[in-house]
Amino acid sequence: MLCSRISSRWSGRPDIERRSFVAALTTLLAAASTARAAEEVVVFAAASLADALREIGRAFEARTGHRVVLSLGGSNDLARQIRAGAPAEVFVSASAERMDEVERAGLVRAGDRVNLLSNRLVVVVPVTAATALARAEDLVGVGRLALGDPEAVPAGIYARQWLEKRGLWERVRDRVVPTLDVRAALAAVESGNADAGIVYRTDAAISKRVRVVLDVPVEEAPRIVYPAALLTASRGPAARAFYEHLRSPAARGVFERLGFEFLPGR
Amino acid sequence: MGAEELRVVLFTLQMAATATAAILVPGVAAAFLLAGYRGPGKSALETLLSLPLVLPPTAVGLALLELLGRNRPIGAWLAARGIEVVFTWKAVVLATAVMSFPLLVRSARTAFEEVDPRLVGLARTLGCGPLAAFFRVTLPLAWRGVLAGTVLAFSRALGEFGATIMLAGNIPGRTQTLALAIFHDTQVGRDGRAGALAAVTVALAFATLWTTEWLVRRRSRAEGA
Repeated sequence: MLCSRISSRWSGRPDIERRSFVAALTTLLAAASTARAAEEVVVFAAASLADALREIGRAFEARTGHRVVLSLGGSNDLARQIRAGAPAEVFVSASAERMDEVERAGLVRAGDRVNLLSNRLVVVVPVTAATALARAEDLVGVGRLALGDPEAVPAGIYARQWLEKRGLWERVRDRVVPTLDVRAALAAVESGNADAGIVYRTDAAISKRVRVVLDVPVEEAPRIVYPAALLTASRGPAARAFYEHLRSPAARGVFERLGFEFLPGR
Repeated sequence: MGAEELRVVLFTLQMAATATAAILVPGVAAAFLLAGYRGPGKSALETLLSLPLVLPPTAVGLALLELLGRNRPIGAWLAARGIEVVFTWKAVVLATAVMSFPLLVRSARTAFEEVDPRLVGLARTLGCGPLAAFFRVTLPLAWRGVLAGTVLAFSRALGEFGATIMLAGNIPGRTQTLALAIFHDTQVGRDGRAGALAAVTVALAFATLWTTEWLVRRRSRAEGA
């Protein structure tokens, strides 16, 4: 008795329910079709580009009406994700080797790769720290040194190459705290949990909680190159438009204001 | 498996064992007290103790980091006394201990609650003090639940990742446990080694659970005889 009443509730007044369902579906479809002009561009980029690409992405969104979805991280991890099939359309790597991996996997559109930026390394300490780190040799006396993972993260590999060139790597490697990307190394210094860190000049510039104590001279450091590429997974014209936009004068202005060296057109 | 892999495995076992040993007494005590407690706020207290079980491990790691970071209240106090926690093996033990604690407490509490209070009362009338009653009656009757909880806690400690990486970092040879080494190896493209280490974790987990099962079986047969 009760049971039959419950089931009649479920199947009650089917016409009205079906009609409202159809109406809802129609509305949804209409909304989807008006939004079709605006595309989503999925951009994978080195963590050090976070602030620059957020700003450039906002300007691009305002100009074109497209939407930019940023996925930031260590370039090694992003390259691995892309090779595993992540739906990235544009990739900006902090290292040529990581981009080479993606290119060798056949995932870069032919001819659509450019050396976009360069950067410099600096040694930072917490702003409150009294440490006097005047020379590279002083790093030997530091308690904990935060770096991007020196086996994998570009910033960490560059830092290791610099320290190897100075003959200091073997003496500091026991103090290294490896991090997932360069911004995590910056954060470890900001919190005071690491005594010093090696990050990009552009990372140090956005933080009020660290102090640059040493600029790594260009002639001592490995050549830092950020290649950008349009990937084969890119779908609509918006991805190409964003890739082109990265080389525009507007983007150049942002990159240079934040301390990057802009490479195209040189 | 090379020397370095073996070291990671031993380090992981060492950390998990230390964390389990550290929570054993407070965990069993908390479980026993909770089982007997009937006052106000009982369920709130139980919920609070179980939180690490349901929170994202990274949230627990963050909370620990906020307390124990070098410039944070407890961390600064310890640092002034020459005790470093973050990015050391102590951070590994602490993070895994906090994450494992609720598993021990929940399991042991259930076991204590199932002990017939009349038996404890009987022991008391026969002249046992509260402590003697606990060790002569309550614990022997509840030991299976306590052991199960301990094993669960140990297994959790073996595999803990999120809170550990937040508090201890992922430093090869210093704070890198199996779970962190697997992650690190995939990060740097050593998929083969990651797979080998993952297989070791499967073997370890299997061995732990199987040993417990066997212990419990053997004991119950002995008791039956």
